[in-house]
Amino acid sequence: MEDRAEQEHTSRKRDQEPDHVLRVYSDITELIPSPENPTPLVRLNRINQNKDFQIYLKLERYNPFGSVKDRIAYEMLKALEVGKRTVVEPSSGNTGIALTCLANAWGIAVEVAVPQRIPEEKKIMLRFLGARKVWEADDSLCPRFPSEGARGLVDALIRSPATKDKYISPNQYENELNVQAHYRTTGPEIWKQTRGEINYLFAGLGTCGTIVGAGRYLKEQNPEIRVIGVEPSSATHRLPGMKRITGLAPEYIPKILDSSVIDETIEVSDGEAYKTAVELARSEGIPAGPTTGAILWAALNYASSHRGLAVVISPDDAFKYTSFYRDYLEGETGKS
Amino acid sequence: MTANRECDLSDLLCPLSKMRATEIIDNLPAGETVRIILGDMDSVKSVVQELKARGMKPDFKQESENRFVLTVSKQ
Repeated sequence: MEDRAEQEHTSRKRDQEPDHVLRVYSDITELIPSPENPTPLVRLNRINQNKDFQIYLKLERYNPFGSVKDRIAYEMLKALEVGKRTVVEPSSGNTGIALTCLANAWGIAVEVAVPQRIPEEKKIMLRFLGARKVWEADDSLCPRFPSEGARGLVDALIRSPATKDKYISPNQYENELNVQAHYRTTGPEIWKQTRGEINYLFAGLGTCGTIVGAGRYLKEQNPEIRVIGVEPSSATHRLPGMKRITGLAPEYIPKILDSSVIDETIEVSDGEAYKTAVELARSEGIPAGPTTGAILWAALNYASSHRGLAVVISPDDAFKYTSFYRDYLEGETGKS
Repeated sequence: MTANRECDLSDLLCPLSKMRATEIIDNLPAGETVRIILGDMDSVKSVVQELKARGMKPDFKQESENRFVLTVSKQ
């Protein structure tokens, strides 16, 4: 078992630094972003009317598996001593997709626990990728995690005498590598791409790895940078991957959240998020997921009364949410 | 109630115990009785809640510190 673990570990080490100019890679994991191979930063020119407040989107859809979660999945899985066990993780989709892709590349078995309410597209993707099992959990499934059945289910798999030796979980809610991945890559990328001119970082609250890791790095470079967190205005929402932190009992707040990094938290409704995501697609040609709409809505509101350069984290693309967008667009048609 | 069968779920924590108990109840033929053995109070609470939601009234007995028995009949 130790031999296999060692073999897995060795196979996850890179032989040499990849060449990001020619973009020829020895395996897909070499496409995980870094300051030498950043995801794009794209300025918004039409949706934002305030020329004194420039907004750049950090397009995390350009990660190899399609979302910001590729960064943390890579760091967490690389460090995990899997052995003969199966990796299991609660996810609203993106972490599960990233973990499954990486696990496929490294020959590891993965199971993913997802909330029932996530888009069907994400569940289909997990099955398409060959996740050994996709557990669907109702939010109220577990009294230990009253609004997060998927987290409760994985917790039970890891702790139950019958299953605990068969499973191991990266546990993105408590794994400091979730923060480190963004401290080592997302933060330095943004600093380098903006040539140190960034004034505001806008990011969503979920596991809180992105905002804490990137925010901490940026504040270390310039303490004047303001870090703004965005959360759903209601605990029940259609913004998969986001979590309403305000009002949560302490035991349900992600352990990796360092609130000292966050200067302000802004609440966004589903309607505001979806409306902004649709406007972004139609005015800038950028098809992003609804959480991008939520975070961008907060930045656009800031634009009316602030000056400077803002970076908005855009976690993923629109294609995994077409059924959710269909519902929104049908409502939009009904209103006209 | 005299049970026709017994299912030991004492090595599963909630919500795995609840999910497994729900499967057992769903597959229980009408007129039969099952003894479901659970190993912790969180499991007992959530399984009882699930049974009540289905209009079932289980008999409850604590046999030891970590052994709880629910006896359930399906009409």
